[in-house]
Amino acid sequence: MAEKNAPEALSAKELEERQNAHPFAVPFLWLGKQKVIDNFIWLPVLGMIAMIALGIVFPHEKPAPWDVIPGSWAVIGFVSYTFIVLCAKPLTALLSRPEDYYGEGGLPDPEYSTEHTHEGDHHD
Amino acid sequence: MIDFFQINPGLWLILAGLICALVPKGEAFALVRKALVIGAPILAAVMIFQIYTSQEVLAGKITIGGLELTTLRIDNLSMVWGYLFCLIGVINGIYGFHEKCRITDSSALIYAGAAIAGVFSGDLLTLFLFWELTAISSVFLIWKGGERAYAAGIRYLALHVLSGVLLLAGAILFANTNGGDYTFNNIGIDTLGGWLILIAIGIKCGFPFLHMWMQDAYPKASITGTVILSAFTTKMAIYALARGYVGVDILIYIGAVMTCFPVFFALIENDLRRVLAFSLNNQLGFMVCGIGIGTELAMNGVVGQVFVHVIFKSLLFMSIGAVMYRVGTAKASELGGLFRSMPITAVFCLIGAGSIAAFPLLAAFVTKAMIISAVIYEAAYNPGLYVIAGMLLFASAGVMEHSGIKVPYFTFFSHDSGRRVKEAPLNMLVAMGLAAALCIFLAFPWGGYQMLYALMPYDLPKPYKPYTVDHVVFQLQLLFAAISAFCLLKKFKLYPAERRGEILDFDWTYRKLCLGITTWIGAMWTRLSAVTTRVRNKAIAGAGRRLYQMFSPAGAMSESAPSGLAAALTAAMLILVLFFVYFVR
Amino acid sequence: MDLLSLFPAWLLEQGPAFVIVLPLLMGAITAILPSRTSAWWVCLIVTLLCTVTSFGLLLQVYSEGTSVYTMGGWDPPHGISLVLDVLSAPVLLLIAAMAVVTTVYAMPSTIAEIEPKKRAPFYAAFLLCFAGLMGMVVTGDAFNVFVFLEVSSISTYALVAMGAARDRRALAAAYNYLILGSIGATFFVIGLGFMFMETGTLNMADMSRILAELDGGSRVAKVGFGFIIIGLGLKLAMFPLHTWLPGAYAYAPTKVTVFLASTATKAALYLLFRFTFTVFDPSYDYVIVVLTYLLTGVGVVGMVFASLQAIFQTDARRTLAYSSVAQVGYMLLGIGLATAAGIAAGYLHLLNHAIIKGGLFLAMGAFWYRFGITRLSDFNGLSKTMPWTMGAFMISGLSLIGVPFTAGFVSKVNLTIAAADKGWWWAVAIIVVTSVLAIIYIGRILLAAYFGSPPEIDGEVVKRNEAPLMMLVPMWAMALLSIAIGSNILDLGDFFVTASERAAALLVGSGA
Repeated sequence: MAEKNAPEALSAKELEERQNAHPFAVPFLWLGKQKVIDNFIWLPVLGMIAMIALGIVFPHEKPAPWDVIPGSWAVIGFVSYTFIVLCAKPLTALLSRPEDYYGEGGLPDPEYSTEHTHEGDHHD
Repeated sequence: MIDFFQINPGLWLILAGLICALVPKGEAFALVRKALVIGAPILAAVMIFQIYTSQEVLAGKITIGGLELTTLRIDNLSMVWGYLFCLIGVINGIYGFHEKCRITDSSALIYAGAAIAGVFSGDLLTLFLFWELTAISSVFLIWKGGERAYAAGIRYLALHVLSGVLLLAGAILFANTNGGDYTFNNIGIDTLGGWLILIAIGIKCGFPFLHMWMQDAYPKASITGTVILSAFTTKMAIYALARGYVGVDILIYIGAVMTCFPVFFALIENDLRRVLAFSLNNQLGFMVCGIGIGTELAMNGVVGQVFVHVIFKSLLFMSIGAVMYRVGTAKASELGGLFRSMPITAVFCLIGAGSIAAFPLLAAFVTKAMIISAVIYEAAYNPGLYVIAGMLLFASAGVMEHSGIKVPYFTFFSHDSGRRVKEAPLNMLVAMGLAAALCIFLAFPWGGYQMLYALMPYDLPKPYKPYTVDHVVFQLQLLFAAISAFCLLKKFKLYPAERRGEILDFDWTYRKLCLGITTWIGAMWTRLSAVTTRVRNKAIAGAGRRLYQMFSPAGAMSESAPSGLAAALTAAMLILVLFFVYFVR
Repeated sequence: MDLLSLFPAWLLEQGPAFVIVLPLLMGAITAILPSRTSAWWVCLIVTLLCTVTSFGLLLQVYSEGTSVYTMGGWDPPHGISLVLDVLSAPVLLLIAAMAVVTTVYAMPSTIAEIEPKKRAPFYAAFLLCFAGLMGMVVTGDAFNVFVFLEVSSISTYALVAMGAARDRRALAAAYNYLILGSIGATFFVIGLGFMFMETGTLNMADMSRILAELDGGSRVAKVGFGFIIIGLGLKLAMFPLHTWLPGAYAYAPTKVTVFLASTATKAALYLLFRFTFTVFDPSYDYVIVVLTYLLTGVGVVGMVFASLQAIFQTDARRTLAYSSVAQVGYMLLGIGLATAAGIAAGYLHLLNHAIIKGGLFLAMGAFWYRFGITRLSDFNGLSKTMPWTMGAFMISGLSLIGVPFTAGFVSKVNLTIAAADKGWWWAVAIIVVTSVLAIIYIGRILLAAYFGSPPEIDGEVVKRNEAPLMMLVPMWAMALLSIAIGSNILDLGDFFVTASERAAALLVGSGA
């Protein structure tokens, strides 16, 4: 690992990235790697499985009706979350309008904007 | 001699705010202002400490026009809010240290002072006074957000002044049915006055369909303004609920709905400060629900939740504010990958997100569990409440979605936006660091959350134990499942991409519908009046002419009457008198 | 400090006769005085003496109660008595004080308004009129009332006619006034005749006692009552018997207008109080019916109609005259309420209105004196050319409207409260409406004066030309008094309110 992080072992792109990053962030730049992102899923999935197992061993002291199903809280979390997110598409279609819908400028943020659509004061 | 212990501590902040408004411009004077902004809340906290004696303290009694007002009431409930507002006042002061803006400084102080004073007011009329003052002083923070915030500020002001008027009307009605007693204690919804006050509070703490001002105005305020705004108004309203409406059943349902509906809006919203405003609304729902349950456990949970909520919600607003300060926008679609540039802010934001999502060892883990447990315990007697508990769990997953994952993920991770900026200014980091430390400390299993318990109003014989294995395990089940779902949805490209857009909310009804109707009526009126003006003018002119003909010097009534006519008139009057004398009984 | 002890005892003892006899005698002497100045001095001294005496008598009445003076030592009911009580004493002082004020004012104003050779007779007639009014108020004998009424009326006709020097219409007005005044007096004396038939006495106290024994008396008494009410109604310009008033007020010499407006109608109103509440009594059916339906009715109708007429006048003096008719309506409303509060409010308005309207007419006379102005259209910019006069006019005008901290406010509020207490909310509404009308007709004048610009003559803006000091002092005295009453400075407000309440207590108490 040591020589892998050594400057000479890095590609030019990685070097540039390091230079631009905040010094504190340098040791964590691997978080941005595609491989890490792709495999991140195992962390919560394994954690969830572990917790379901533990939940069977240590049941609720004052159970709710749904506590008879093992891992019910995981199910609630998973289903709720999925339901919420899947609602996004129809809701967006229903409720989303162009940003200037009310004519008061939801965008851009005049005083702070760095967006190219608008010239504003920069805070460096 | 003025007895300083008779003075509502909030007034010190208001005084400091007024002084701030008078401090001239200039670099050196800005430091004076900053000293006031940070020092005044500390002074107020010291005063609260001096006054509070573990029993209810009633002081500052003033009699105006036969009404006795209790301007200062500190007991174990209001004391928590008092300290909390002082604490957050200091943190906000540090966060805004870099900003040399006189208006922000003075209005922040007056606003915080009004909130503290309102919480400490012992009667409804004093409460009304500060209720309105919070609205009026805080609107300047919104207007500091620039031109586009102007209309939102007006709407905010209108709704809040309306809330104040409702409060006053309710207070008067309530006092009338209550023998002229304006004392602010349990109110309940048995009277019309009680209902009006409930609606007034409902506006301030964002009941469904009364909530729109929050998501409308908060994201449009200035960076520091949003942070300051998020702390006081709604929590003051929660205090009023906790004081006057404990155990009112309808609040359970209102609260449950309040936790759920913002979840969907937060999901599709692009502006992260607006997402946080929805999240704020959702958190308030938990508190309202807890107040509706009204058991001692629930009330302890609510008080604790308020305390930590203010801290972690501020932390989230502060971190997004810091990002906005550096990047210039808070739109999810424009951000991403910022952990490379702002790693410290990212860590603080993650702590805030973890807190709000109630990860073990982070703030809300203790308090939110208390509220949900209180609901489940009550459900043993009233099975219908399991539905409410289910809704709260659903909402917890929702909190995980928008505040726990969406906010930090789209800001600091996600695809790299390519923006490379500086880390946030030191003062912001200090403020966020303080808040983050508190988030961890107040949930720390060994001596941390016990401090929080010490603030709670009820001493339970069996205090709620948050760190039991089952609680930690099941909470983690929920959270891990939610994160897994996020990862899966992301993997299969089912997670919607952030898109810019204005999300319609209930405020559409007045911003579009009512506006449209009014415009239409206006247009119709113009047309109609064009037709009627002629008729009207004619009628007015006719009436004027008649009057003139009757009363003018040349008119019928004013001709100098010939003596003969006058004499005849006299005779007629005599006959009239005699008629009266003889025949009328 | 005991003011009363400063007065010599003989003055107080003989006072009631003194205030009548002195002006009567001096009036006769003044008529033959050669110079205008000496006549003025005589007039001033007489009125001053009468004022001082009246003041002493008022204090005496307040400290010692009702006093009865028997003329020539003949006891009533056979002899003539002069009665002073809390009802008559304030009116007596009011008349005497207004006489002084107008006399001071007359010094410059007569120069402009009266032909030189008529000036001494003018003062003589004024003193006679003054004596008549004092007599009307002070006498306790009903027939005596008629005599003094005629004395004052006949001299008033002459005084009004003297306005012909500046406006010939004064003659027609005087003639009109003469006819109607005579009808009024005749009605009054016919009524007295009926009362004499019924009771066999002319002494008012006696008459009241016998009527009470007869339980209100027969039809004769009722008819007598009707005639007396109408007779007095004519004299006090009760709507619609007011037609003589605008002309008389508008064209008489200013001194006379002021004096008439603030005392003559008030003396008649005093008699109305006296007759309806002490001689007769509201406990008799026919009295209360007339009070409730007729006096209130014509009072209210008069308030509205006369106010409307005031709005449409082009001559400012006529505006004020119609306003007087409207104000009489307020007082009639107070009487019509027939409660202690209502009577007190009516009586208070009687006193206050004398002061207010006096101030307004004094200012109006000054406008005429300097610029010959009476038409409303000529008022433009008067605040620049005559700021002090206009200031006094404004204060009195605001007081007439009933702006807070002025006398008019006090009496209108009292009247409103009295009406509300009785549950007459419609009357409250009408008071408010007529106050708004008052804002319009006074506001019209004030607007022109304060926001108009002074006229130009030959291309030059008219220069400032303030009224002489002897005119300014009386009008400012009235204006300041009005403010003093309204703001209770020097306890004057309390003094007036107490005076009216004591008078009301006397009237209502006598019936109970």
